Amino acid sequence: MYLPDFDYYAPESIGDVCRMLTEYEDSMILSGGTDVLPKMKNAVLAPKTLISLKRVILNEPGMKSISYEEGRGMVIGGACTHNELVFSEVLQSKYASVSHAAQSIAANQVRHAGTIAGNIINAVPSADLPPILIALNASVTLVGINGARSLSLESLFVGPGKTVIERDEVLTEVVIPDQAMTGSAYFKYGLRKAGALATVGVAAALQMEGNRILDIRLAFGAVAPVPMRAPQTESFLKGKEATEENLEAAAAIAHDECKPITDFRASEEYRRDLVGVYSKRAIRKAIADGHR
Amino acid sequence: MADERENVGKIYAPRPYNVIGKSKPRIDGREKATGAGKYCGDLKMPNMLYGKLLQSPYAHAKILSIDTSEALKIPGVIDVITAKDVPDLKYGISPARWDENILCIEKVLFVGDKVAAVACLDEETCYKALQAIKVEYEPLKPVLDYRTAMDEDMPQIHAEYERNINTEIHQKFGDPDEVFKNAYHVRTDTFVGQRTYQSPIEPHSAISYWKEGKLTVWSSTQTVHYFQTYIARQFGLKLGDVRVIRPLIGGAFGGKLEPTGLEFCSAILSRRTGRPVKMFYDRHEMFAHNRGRHQGTYEITTGVDETGKILGVRCNFLLDGGAYTSLGIATAYYSGGLLTLTYDFENYEFNLRRMYTNLPACGAQRGHGAPQPKYAFESHLNNVAEDLGMDPIELRKRNTRKADTITINGFGIQSCHLDECIDKIVEVTDWEKKRKEGMPKNIGLGMATGSFVSGAGYPIVRSDYPHSSCMIRVNEDGTSATLYSMSVDIGQGSDTAYCQMAAEAMGYRYENMKIVAGDTETTPLDFGAYSSRQTLMGGWACKRAGEEIKSKILETAGFMLNLPPEDLICEDAKIWSRSRPKVEPLTFEEVAKKYFIIKGPLVGTGVYSPPRLGGYYKGAAVATSPAYSFCAQAAEVAVDEETGQVDILHAWDVHDAGQIINPNLMKGQVHGAFAMGFSESVYEQVLFDENGKLINPDLTNYRLITAKDMCKFDNYLIDATDEVAGPWGVKEVGEGANNPTMGAIRNAIMDAAGVSVSSLPITAEKVWRALKEKKAAEKAAAGKD
Repeated sequence: MYLPDFDYYAPESIGDVCRMLTEYEDSMILSGGTDVLPKMKNAVLAPKTLISLKRVILNEPGMKSISYEEGRGMVIGGACTHNELVFSEVLQSKYASVSHAAQSIAANQVRHAGTIAGNIINAVPSADLPPILIALNASVTLVGINGARSLSLESLFVGPGKTVIERDEVLTEVVIPDQAMTGSAYFKYGLRKAGALATVGVAAALQMEGNRILDIRLAFGAVAPVPMRAPQTESFLKGKEATEENLEAAAAIAHDECKPITDFRASEEYRRDLVGVYSKRAIRKAIADGHR
Repeated sequence: MADERENVGKIYAPRPYNVIGKSKPRIDGREKATGAGKYCGDLKMPNMLYGKLLQSPYAHAKILSIDTSEALKIPGVIDVITAKDVPDLKYGISPARWDENILCIEKVLFVGDKVAAVACLDEETCYKALQAIKVEYEPLKPVLDYRTAMDEDMPQIHAEYERNINTEIHQKFGDPDEVFKNAYHVRTDTFVGQRTYQSPIEPHSAISYWKEGKLTVWSSTQTVHYFQTYIARQFGLKLGDVRVIRPLIGGAFGGKLEPTGLEFCSAILSRRTGRPVKMFYDRHEMFAHNRGRHQGTYEITTGVDETGKILGVRCNFLLDGGAYTSLGIATAYYSGGLLTLTYDFENYEFNLRRMYTNLPACGAQRGHGAPQPKYAFESHLNNVAEDLGMDPIELRKRNTRKADTITINGFGIQSCHLDECIDKIVEVTDWEKKRKEGMPKNIGLGMATGSFVSGAGYPIVRSDYPHSSCMIRVNEDGTSATLYSMSVDIGQGSDTAYCQMAAEAMGYRYENMKIVAGDTETTPLDFGAYSSRQTLMGGWACKRAGEEIKSKILETAGFMLNLPPEDLICEDAKIWSRSRPKVEPLTFEEVAKKYFIIKGPLVGTGVYSPPRLGGYYKGAAVATSPAYSFCAQAAEVAVDEETGQVDILHAWDVHDAGQIINPNLMKGQVHGAFAMGFSESVYEQVLFDENGKLINPDLTNYRLITAKDMCKFDNYLIDATDEVAGPWGVKEVGEGANNPTMGAIRNAIMDAAGVSVSSLPITAEKVWRALKEKKAAEKAAAGKD
């Protein structure tokens, strides 16, 4: 329960960060610190070097901004805190569902420090932002020594704690593209009303025409090693009327399609039922409230 | 807030008191709110060392060898001690069951048991030192399930306790079995409680400084007297050579009632190094040390006549005590002892076994032993009412305790307004309308009653000393008075309440009061903060000390005014004549100053000893008290029928707590007790893996409720101050307020969901499963038709 010794750098530019990440073996980025520092205290992580982004964000305002860019979509800087997502007017006006998801994370203190990039790159199965961002088909920009690349968020995760991000890469932004989806919602089942990890997280984004579901993307958190899409449930619903019968049938498919485990928080059986229930609720909300 | 003020108006009738009965600001409020106040962990002393305990990684193992040589080589490591360096006297609450050593000698008995201790120049080095101590263990089969701990093939944890039975109780009053034979209805239910942990916000901490034959210990403790006694005993010191001081305490709830090992080890390390040594627990070490609520299985059988009158009750309880007795012997007796308080019945049998297991020891947690059995009893009574087709309130009203009665197990009840508490609950919850007209789907209402001791009738350290005493010294010019008391303010606000009571008795002003408390060297004996004892027992001491000051003031004023003291009144720091209203009043200050000039220090002292209480059977002493609080609570909950989630919508508490000294502090206690009870009802559980290792020793995974989970909560008082055993008629409020909570919540969930979950915590998943099983059963039944 004591922070071990480590070297600390606060370079000025992303380039320097990328260089240091390769130069110093066993180095990690320190941004919000809400995950890295407790893990170091609990001896889960013991990086020799921490590379802080605190100066980079002064020189790279994009890392800290949330804006809508014509042609690209909603661009969220990687160093934006959860509360910056919660209180961003532009995000609320376009995709309040993402703000709601950010607001469901942990407690206020954590939301003030933790960042969107951290929530993604940790690749914790129960993370609250990936499901809604995947439902909204978001991509991420990764900057490395050899330049930047863009990747769909869905393809980023490999396993618990594992992603395709290279050693030298920094997640600088998350982009939610312009889309035909008319509504989205994230529902989290936590074991208490604040300060709880998701036992199950369900995000839906859909395109409605009247009462017909033209297109839908569902993403589940905490019920598989990585945030997962629900292709069978989606294809069942595509083109169908949003009736209670169809939603019930979709819930049953989602129940079977997810891959949860039993742990001390909940049993597999319960999680499956929750995925079904929360899929219905997320879909209903996305239909009723749009992206709000 | 507007409605709260309204309540205050309704509840608190005007009284002839100037200081008590008023929400005076907390005497420590400013320093706590601004962060200026110092808790034990904040204290630093010149040359101070930091220490930590090495805790066992095994639930049950022989210690083969301990090698501290590598640890001692680390720069900054000053000392390392093991069992050979400390006294081998066992300790615990009851001399008959002293079973714990300062550091383990031959075996470790749970994951977290105390193996060694280090003292280092700084905190960081402590962790390195702990890692460098090499302990060779021979792992033994652990006993992890209290339900099978008695089985033949189970290893014996303590050589002296066969089949791992720590305590066995068999009490019988009347003959329940006989009355069951002819009862109209007899029902048996079994409910299961879980392990919970007090989780005080302030971690345990102690600083010892052993210098020139005198040992001073600053400790986060609920009772400096108890610590002083046991520390002196361990080291063969005179009581007078051990000084225990409590800095500010950040919550305790029973978890800081007994020595932790931090006090003993820091004392030894200080003696060896000649320097002050601070030791402390991290959050996960607090969970490992534990001493939280016992988990248990509670089987209750009740026989009733056709009107719902309870004829007899039989209880068979089994408790998981963990590796040591801790305070568990008292817990065990409290478990069944207190069940006779709220309902009056003539036949009662109480059987209990408290088992040893290789898990952290359980101890006293708010409500000590009573809340889980009471949850079982109140849940059971709702089942009985349902069997009889009776409203649960009606069943309770048929059996409520009355004033001036004696329980079948020998507790004398003087004031009791339980009937009025229940009537008020019916009124404020709109009970009859809701029951008659029904409530919206998935919403339900439940209630339960509660009661608790206002201080234990017998001390936890056997002695003939008065339970409370105090001294008040008015300064030479009368502008302030200092109250000296060994009582401990653990956050409940006793320092404030004591000053209010002293000022009231003196005829003085609260605003001029100072207090020195919880220091064995400067303050007179008070047993401390446990069994909800301080307001009543310490209150008598404050009142009597204050009255002595007042009589000295009146005598001096009489001399100054040439009037007989009997003619004078001293109130709000003014002294005037009853018979001669035109005589210019004197101020307390000028009279006190005159007293000092003539006679020296103006001092008053007060003591309190309870009368001899209780019956003569084995265990009759536990749960005796000069006075008992009574209350009724109700909760309205919504259950999500798809997920089983329980949302508490509104809760009510009606209390018969006698005269209230400080309404805001009382509310804080009742709110806090209810919140804690609600949290234990639906969320909290200490979990272990198959090796006896803690799964959730942190505040993320050990789930306490958050402010967001708490509901609208109203508390009401019965306006009654007729308790003759309490000063001004005071009774307890801090622990009785969580006595009914778990039962009320369970009954509300039952009412809302139509399913019974018979174990705590009533998690969403358990409710979901019960709902699912109910639906499946209904479907199956429909299929048969």
